[in-house]
Amino acid sequence: MSIKAFELVPAIERIKLMSDKARTQEDTKNLFDNLKKCIFVLLDRMSGYMWQKFIHRNHFVVHYTIEEKTSTSGKTVFHSDKQGHKYLAVKKPINQLKAASALNRIMVLCDNTLILLNMFDLEPIVSGAKIKGVTCFCINENPAYGNPFSVEICVALKKKQLQFYTVTEDRLVHIRDISVSEPAVALGLDGSFVCVALSSQYCMINFETAHIQDLFPFDGEQNKPLILRISREEFLLSGPSALGMFVTSDGISQRPPLQWSENLINQHQKQAIPFQGGTYLGNFDGRLFIASGKEIYSLVPVAWEKQIYRRFQQQAAFIEFSQQNFDEARELFKDGQVDVQEVISLYPKLLPTNTSFTRSIQPLHEIADINQLCRGQDSLLTDYKTFLRLYLEDIRGTKEAIGFKQEIDIALLKLYAEVNSPELIPLIAVDTGCDLKDCVDWLEKYNRYHALALLYKYHSENDKALHIWTRLVNGEIKDEAFPGLQFVIEYLSNLTDHELVWKYVDWILEKDPENGVKIFTERPPNEPQSERLRPDIVIDYLHRFPKAVITYLEFLVFQKKMEKEKYHTHLAVLYLDSVLQLMKTNNIKKEEIDIARSKLRHMLQISNLYRVQLILGKAKEQEMHAECAILYGKLEEHDKALRILVHKLKDFGGAENYCIVNSQGKDPSYRKRLFHALLSVYLDPSYEHKENLVKPAILQILPENWSVNLLSQFLNRNVRKSLNTCRTTRIELCNRAFGDSSFVRYPNGVVTHVHCAKNKHICPVTGKLFSTKRS
Amino acid sequence: MHLVKITTVQTLEKDLKVIILGDYAVGKTAFICRYIEGKFKTQEPTIGAAFFLKQWGPYNIAVWDTAGGERYTGLSSFYCRNAGAAILAYDMSNSMGMKLDLMTPESRDITLEEGKKLARELNENIDISKLPSDPYFETSSLNGQHVNEVFEFIFQHCLPLTEAQRKAAFEKNSGTVELTEKDSTKKSCCSK
Repeated sequence: MSIKAFELVPAIERIKLMSDKARTQEDTKNLFDNLKKCIFVLLDRMSGYMWQKFIHRNHFVVHYTIEEKTSTSGKTVFHSDKQGHKYLAVKKPINQLKAASALNRIMVLCDNTLILLNMFDLEPIVSGAKIKGVTCFCINENPAYGNPFSVEICVALKKKQLQFYTVTEDRLVHIRDISVSEPAVALGLDGSFVCVALSSQYCMINFETAHIQDLFPFDGEQNKPLILRISREEFLLSGPSALGMFVTSDGISQRPPLQWSENLINQHQKQAIPFQGGTYLGNFDGRLFIASGKEIYSLVPVAWEKQIYRRFQQQAAFIEFSQQNFDEARELFKDGQVDVQEVISLYPKLLPTNTSFTRSIQPLHEIADINQLCRGQDSLLTDYKTFLRLYLEDIRGTKEAIGFKQEIDIALLKLYAEVNSPELIPLIAVDTGCDLKDCVDWLEKYNRYHALALLYKYHSENDKALHIWTRLVNGEIKDEAFPGLQFVIEYLSNLTDHELVWKYVDWILEKDPENGVKIFTERPPNEPQSERLRPDIVIDYLHRFPKAVITYLEFLVFQKKMEKEKYHTHLAVLYLDSVLQLMKTNNIKKEEIDIARSKLRHMLQISNLYRVQLILGKAKEQEMHAECAILYGKLEEHDKALRILVHKLKDFGGAENYCIVNSQGKDPSYRKRLFHALLSVYLDPSYEHKENLVKPAILQILPENWSVNLLSQFLNRNVRKSLNTCRTTRIELCNRAFGDSSFVRYPNGVVTHVHCAKNKHICPVTGKLFSTKRS
Repeated sequence: MHLVKITTVQTLEKDLKVIILGDYAVGKTAFICRYIEGKFKTQEPTIGAAFFLKQWGPYNIAVWDTAGGERYTGLSSFYCRNAGAAILAYDMSNSMGMKLDLMTPESRDITLEEGKKLARELNENIDISKLPSDPYFETSSLNGQHVNEVFEFIFQHCLPLTEAQRKAAFEKNSGTVELTEKDSTKKSCCSK
């Protein structure tokens, strides 16, 4: 269909449909008109497997008002307002929803039970009236009794029975039953007649007289029966081969059947049914609404004159196209709203292979394809292809493209793949209409392997995607667009199919253990736990890759903060091993060892979970004093630790720091005890002879309130020693220290600075005169 | 080639519904087309059913063409409901495809006698002797042979016209309204 008799005008778009809580894909199930305002009642139904995981089939009824306006440019626009939404505490999806505006009630069929809700607050009515065992129901729009304060309905029960009720504000009044030969699957009501689709045929039933007239059979497996009341005493039913059959209440047809051409139906599906079973089409007082999973549209008829005008535009567009007046052609294609498939079909092989598209029955042009127009001129062919690319890019995602996403995306993919366009990857990566069927061969043909893998990924064919990337990494195939191993690692680290992750882990780690381990360490933060990725299993596996194990354990210990002795000990042991390994190696730079040791120390210091004795034994063996000090600290053998720090390492700052670090978070007295221990170490006479120079440092840390008596011995000894040192290292004359290697010695043994020896014949201390004669 | 089955007229006083039934590709549509438009056209297979109006004196007659295709068999009895007359069309030779104009005595599968016999059997409930002829016709849509006779036979039986009315009817001879025209009128209705 090239001429559009209807235009789709968005009525409620996705953003508005999304209620804050109900981020689901909604179906509209009912709409009705109320004083130029339609009030929408929407049914939210979970569809799309992605969401089901998180919002276990929750069901919402959402209430909208829709106002139709005609804009200044003559276009019909809709303005919608959400009025409220209600969560129905039911496990099953809602099957049917109808509004009885006169009663301010909404009838909801869910889990085979028909209930009534208040239209404004969406609460169930107080009386709790309901009918059970219902498969479908229908409102009589031409009531047989005509009571304005009630609504007549017919319900089909599971047990081969139809029941008639009048519905009032709070009651469902049973009128009569009619038995049928098979369970009814669809209903249409008018006056005293009910048109019923049983499981294999349609019937017309007069429920006053209970007379049943068979209409015609249908193939229930191929076609979903459809009953639409189109006017007083007349229904439109879906017949075989997409026929629309008119049937009156008398059971006869007064009009020939409607042929819904395959194309037309197809087009509707593409516009309205992006996923199966999620569509709704309803006629509400002359307004035709179509609901897709994402939006609700209104079908607005296009004026006949406009259709004719468009036809001219379309024909003109193809003439311009054939003469390479591309700008004009593009504008006309757009203005004339040419079915984009008409344009794509001019390019051999660019339409999807499974397309049901046939060119307009009244031909718009006489062009066979672009090859015919180009007659072998390659540059012209390129121009034509460029034109299509620009045209498709132009309309992609716009109103003109509604319903043709797949066709447009596939054609673009093929064009991009041919010329190796950088646009290819973005086209595939996000929300693409490209299916596998058509694109796989094409991408392979042009060696766009990375794009192909991404397409597989998009279609959740992860194994196939990974297989291609494996071959790319291994160099079996080549594609410049492929970013490299890092990309695969990142992909695997985000892959939720853990079985599949394992399939490729080996290969990755053999290639690059250090980066490969990111598969395990850079998992998505909210990924659910899985047995396959349990840390113990991963560690066992990584055994062969020492660096990878360390990285993984670091991840567990430092990042995940897992408090398991096993991991902490393991990591400490591995750190220690790597230090020992470095120490054994010849010609290794000291810095390298230092770095390794500081990593080890850091680990030993911050963790309290590893087995200290195990590490300590080895550290002692290797005389790794700093490490030993930390380990003793962990064992609370502070004396040993401090001795090592003070005497072996002479790291006095470190010793003080030790006291602070090891007393953190503990009782203040604990810190005092530590400092006391440190003091004892300092005061230990067995080390005195070596340590005398540091005593002033000790004096500084002594608390002011300690009695001198306590320290007298120590002080005496030290003062004396210091004095002696001081004296023996100073010059008598000026009482200054030696500053130079050269000095003057007088014959009487007095030594002075060179500059102090003013007269070499007179001793400056004793004043003795020495002979001036040189002997 | 056409048997006419006449039932008691059940339709409203002024109207008659005539339906043509028969196997796929025997030429039902071509036959109706020859009668309505007065010329022969090759036809696409009918989908579901088609509908033509014909004026017969003061009466409106609906001529329903049905699809012979197998998938539409379920619809035949539905479309027969309330029909005043049915035309059962078949191909006189199963091998030759078309109709009296192509017929040679050798290519015939069903003899004239067999056809007449079937027609009588189908019309057991009415007195054949009162009919002007057997309700059996061998026709050609290609050259129009016996086509009008079939319809006049039916119409005259179901809705008898006086001689004057008949004359008037033939003078007008433009009482058909084709479906496609009707459709386009409807379309402009919708878009107003």
